[in-house]
Amino acid sequence: MKTKSLVALSLAATMAISLTACGSSAATTTTSDTAASTAPAAEATAETATETTTDAAATDGGSLVYWSMWSEGEPQAQIIKSATEKFTADTGITVDVEFKGRSGQREGLQPALDAGQTIDVFDEDVNRVNGTWGKYLLPLEDLAKDYESEHGNTTLFAIARNAYAQANDGDTTLHSIPYQPSIFGLFYNQTLFDKAGVSGVPQTWDELDAACQKLVDAGITPITADDAYMTCIIGYQLARYLGQDGVKSLVTGEAVNGTTCTWSDAGVLSAAKDIEDFSKKGYFSANISTNAYPVGQNQEFAIGDAAIIPCGSWLPNECKDYTAEDLKWGYMNFPTVDGGKDDRTANNIANQVFAINKDTKMADQAFQYIAYLTSGDVDAQFVSDAMCIPVDKANSDTWPTELAAVKTDFDATTTYYDWACGVESNADITGDIKDNTIKLCAGTLDAQGFVDAMKSVSGQ
Amino acid sequence: MFQREGWHRCKAAVTLIKWGEQMKEHKKKNSNRGMIITFLAPAVIIFLVVFLYPIIRTVMMSFYKIDAVTDKMADWTFTGLANYQKLLSTPIFATAMLNILKIWLIGGIIVLGLSLLFAVILTSGIRFKKFFRAVIYMPNIISAVALATMWQQYVYNSKFGLLTSVLKALHLDALAKTPWLDPDHLFWSMLFAYCFGMVGYHMLIWCSGIERISPDLFEAATIDGANKPKQFWYISRPLLKGVFKTNITMWSVSTAAFFVWSQLFSTVTASKSTMVPVQYMYLQTFGAGNAVTDRNAGYGAAIGIVLCICIVIIFTITNRVIKNDDLEF
Repeated sequence: MKTKSLVALSLAATMAISLTACGSSAATTTTSDTAASTAPAAEATAETATETTTDAAATDGGSLVYWSMWSEGEPQAQIIKSATEKFTADTGITVDVEFKGRSGQREGLQPALDAGQTIDVFDEDVNRVNGTWGKYLLPLEDLAKDYESEHGNTTLFAIARNAYAQANDGDTTLHSIPYQPSIFGLFYNQTLFDKAGVSGVPQTWDELDAACQKLVDAGITPITADDAYMTCIIGYQLARYLGQDGVKSLVTGEAVNGTTCTWSDAGVLSAAKDIEDFSKKGYFSANISTNAYPVGQNQEFAIGDAAIIPCGSWLPNECKDYTAEDLKWGYMNFPTVDGGKDDRTANNIANQVFAINKDTKMADQAFQYIAYLTSGDVDAQFVSDAMCIPVDKANSDTWPTELAAVKTDFDATTTYYDWACGVESNADITGDIKDNTIKLCAGTLDAQGFVDAMKSVSGQ
Repeated sequence: MFQREGWHRCKAAVTLIKWGEQMKEHKKKNSNRGMIITFLAPAVIIFLVVFLYPIIRTVMMSFYKIDAVTDKMADWTFTGLANYQKLLSTPIFATAMLNILKIWLIGGIIVLGLSLLFAVILTSGIRFKKFFRAVIYMPNIISAVALATMWQQYVYNSKFGLLTSVLKALHLDALAKTPWLDPDHLFWSMLFAYCFGMVGYHMLIWCSGIERISPDLFEAATIDGANKPKQFWYISRPLLKGVFKTNITMWSVSTAAFFVWSQLFSTVTASKSTMVPVQYMYLQTFGAGNAVTDRNAGYGAAIGIVLCICIVIIFTITNRVIKNDDLEF
């Protein structure tokens, strides 16, 4: 009996150990999968690790873990990888870079931080980092003091401070370091503008209307867009009439900073009528209702089949493989409308930011790494290889040629909108806003129909 | 007298032996029970930790307002039935439920019907059976992301798409102009593409069921003058009842988790037309698209619970309507 019990116990123990082993092998597999999906990164990191092990032994630089929002194949990831290798060689600090991608970062970062996993540095959109993950951030005022005065872009630092303040009772302490700034507006093909005889950059809605009419007369499709950015079109137009607080109030049904708006407001109908008018005049591409991102930007705008497209300043980098040889890049902010609350100096300037985990034991090294990635040669490399807007003051005159036209309007911006001017603030109705805007542009829904549909969805 | 005493002694001895055997049996059973408990314990404990605990936690979460999935319980705010009340009064959730119902019912009829048809044809002795089976199954070995991208960016493309080109070549110009990806057609385009990818999987299940039926039955039916449709109706159909149930179960399970296709057919910002409950749950739990929106993991949990209840109802109805195999073959 005793023997049997012993046998049973040992078998059970073996089984349990096997299961545990399976678990760890599964864990290893997951890691391997991740490693496989980021093979070159892992290789680079491994190389870096090997190189740095020797260096670290000599310099004792320590080791950092950086969770990156970029995916393996993106140009930004390639720049970060090579920069990290150089950083390790220069400083002796090893950095384990894990390219998570946007989804991976949004789903996995917070659980990992809650579980106490070692993550020293992470990055994502300025509002998400400072708002959603605000409680995990190390205050950076002291660490970044010299860096900010030497390299910091005033506008971007103001946006970063404001993003933290919005979500943390007005606290404007710096908690993140901006990089990869972008502006959302209307890109246009200067060659097609010239061909149609459009001179100057449209500043108002009427001027844009006139420009589009000239393009139509010249047989050119004036505007195309992708489904991914449809909410930005209506968001901007609404914000021009109501301001961003008005737009947020409109979609959330609550007062925002003392502003209350409903779908019955005259500004809403005016915004919808502007778009309806453009649709009736045939300014939108015939494919506007079916352009699944990135069809509009790659197969219509970049090849010269349409003259204008609403997009962010990442556009030239994204469609560089499709761009027509004669395409000269032009840019304008969304135009000012008659009787609107905000004018063309109010724009969605966003950026990614780096942040440091408040529980890190390597704050100095982490900041050193961030400063390395956001200044000097690495910042210049972001400009040259990924067509990004520079963040280092020293590089402020080195904008990519494709974005040269953006600089004036970027610098002229004084009011900073959130993504899509806040029109996506309520996930319960964003799908309706997107679908109804597509219909409005395609002409299958008129302005009043748009307003009625949104009133119905919002229970107004 | 002595004979009777001997008989009693003999009877007592037999009883003693029987008792001894019973005791041995009892001890054996006891030792078996020990073995069973010892072997089962790790699996039961793991089940409790891995499955039961998350189920209980999810049910609890659905009664709270929770910012992030991993927030400590101390940070949860009790809201009672508020999450469920909000669900019932939110139009987009009703749309999501209606969409998933359409995918389950209409998609189910298309997929199970087509897959059964293919299975019957493939098991009827046609040539190149293995080739056709591999071709029809192939979409299942391709990633859903690649498949959805192929349908969205190539097949349905309004400028250079396969459908547009083929229809133009056939001089069906009006049909070629159909905006397959606009909000009015997007759902049906997505559903058709999804069904295309699912037929092969269910066809294999049907095939395995049909191949279990003895060829003698079909041979006898052929001799009796039954044609193929009659053979299917009177032999295959009744004997495939169990396989039908399996197929409905598998289809329901995959439909309940419908997510990737919706995500890919509504790039960056979710569309109303393709919204499904799991996608809505994801948006509420992890935040939506590019905008930073309010998150409520408790609300997400409530969506999961409602979805779970719906699945249980479907399984119960299926089990009631389709009885277990009452035919032996």
